[in-house]
Amino acid sequence: MTKTVILIQTIVGGLGIGSIYALVALGYSMVYRSMGLVNFAHGSIYMIGTYFGIIFYRGMVAGIHLPYWAAFIVGVLLTAILGVLLERLFRPLANLDLMLMLLGTIGVGIMLDNLAIIVWGAEGFAVRSPLPSKPILVGGVSLLPQMLLVIGVGTLLMVGLQTFLSRTKVGKAMRAAAQDREIASAMGIPVNFTNAITFAIGSGLASAAGILAAPIVYVNPSMSAAVGIKGFASAILGGLGSIPGAIVGGLSFGVIEAISAGFISSAYTKGIAFIIMVLVLMVKPSGIVGETTVEKV
Amino acid sequence: MLTLENVHIYYGHIHAVKGISFEVRKGEITTLIGANGAGKSTTLKAICGIVHPRQGAIYLNGQPVHRLPPHKLVSQGIGYVPEGRRVFPVLTVDENLEMGAYHRTDADGIAQDKARMYELFPALKGRERQLAGSLSGGEQQMLAIARALMSRPQILVMDEPSLGLAPMLVQHVFEIIAELNRQGITILLSEQNARAALKIAHHGVVLETGRIRFMDTAEALRENPVVQHAYLGIA
Repeated sequence: MTKTVILIQTIVGGLGIGSIYALVALGYSMVYRSMGLVNFAHGSIYMIGTYFGIIFYRGMVAGIHLPYWAAFIVGVLLTAILGVLLERLFRPLANLDLMLMLLGTIGVGIMLDNLAIIVWGAEGFAVRSPLPSKPILVGGVSLLPQMLLVIGVGTLLMVGLQTFLSRTKVGKAMRAAAQDREIASAMGIPVNFTNAITFAIGSGLASAAGILAAPIVYVNPSMSAAVGIKGFASAILGGLGSIPGAIVGGLSFGVIEAISAGFISSAYTKGIAFIIMVLVLMVKPSGIVGETTVEKV
Repeated sequence: MLTLENVHIYYGHIHAVKGISFEVRKGEITTLIGANGAGKSTTLKAICGIVHPRQGAIYLNGQPVHRLPPHKLVSQGIGYVPEGRRVFPVLTVDENLEMGAYHRTDADGIAQDKARMYELFPALKGRERQLAGSLSGGEQQMLAIARALMSRPQILVMDEPSLGLAPMLVQHVFEIIAELNRQGITILLSEQNARAALKIAHHGVVLETGRIRFMDTAEALRENPVVQHAYLGIA
């Protein structure tokens, strides 16, 4: 194997994991920009969302065995509903003091984590991929089918989100409400409704990420912390509140992690990824993409 | 058509509006004049449901509306042009207009109204796909007015539309307001530029630190020596 082949393989693997981070980062950024709320329960939503799909795939609910794609849809929808309920719960926290927000959302996160332990146990399990586990060889580069599925579906979801936000009436209203809540409301936009949709989409995307990642990682209740913090770091790296930023941040974080694991040391992977995040923020505090500023034309 | 009855508004402990009552008559331009901090913006925000009066009532066509949230008031016929324009900066001009029509479901009517707005405000023509934040102050003001008109309001509530505009543009904005009124839209206009406002208005209300100082026809206010001295710069 040549160095180039290894590099390409590493980057593809990084993009796969990065897609997961990006989908999770989108939830942080969407909720932050529309409600001013940093939702530290989002990692737990990701974890619960993974279970919501996988329990149907593994036949853990009344012996129901759904095919992977159907379990995926059911999980995403259930998690979106959970998101709507959480929006209602967090509504009084929006725009409050950061400390209260921190405490409130972390508290709910801990509750969700422990509920998961009570219901599904703390041990966790491995999940069989619906696709063949044999890698596909493309020009010497061997690619895991599940990894390709993650990248493919992740891309579809991100493109879908952009299309929804730029083409539909509700999507445009969500952007308007994120830019100026008070005026959006005075223009006739029911802001609580758009916030609920924002929460539903953010939670649904996190669930999608978790169900896609499940056959690659190990599913257990403590997955909320690991991916939660990396998704948050990705959102900050790209520029918290920016949708392209969440995508760029997530993919960069995944690729940086994969390259440092493959070429430097797997023991220092996390450290290196976070050091690069800190360095980027020191140079550009608003993140890679940062706040959308408008140039005079 | 719009009546305020003994309206009191507080921001925390600050008593910003202290029991004001006035009426906006159908088909007229009523202007609220007064200095900074007189309570003009607060009064308008209460009419649009952004703040709620602690005491008193606001009636639109006889129905109490002071407990409704802002988005419900739009469908009741209140169109708001906020102070400082506040167009959605990272939405295109076209999308800003669509947001003004959010509560409407008649796609054909919305498309017609959009076309009408580009006729009424030629400055916006050809800029449909441009981000609103990249427009000049005057153009943003036109967009803010057009956005409010997209809801087909019965009454247009305008908060200092001339603020921060070049003198030539100020005159243009007042011409547009007068023209909209001639087309049958009732207007409530808050202004620091009392001279220009009283020129186009039918009735005027003079606010001072949250209370009504004078309330009369625009003509009578123009002749009032106190108003002349304090607001029109006539010694």
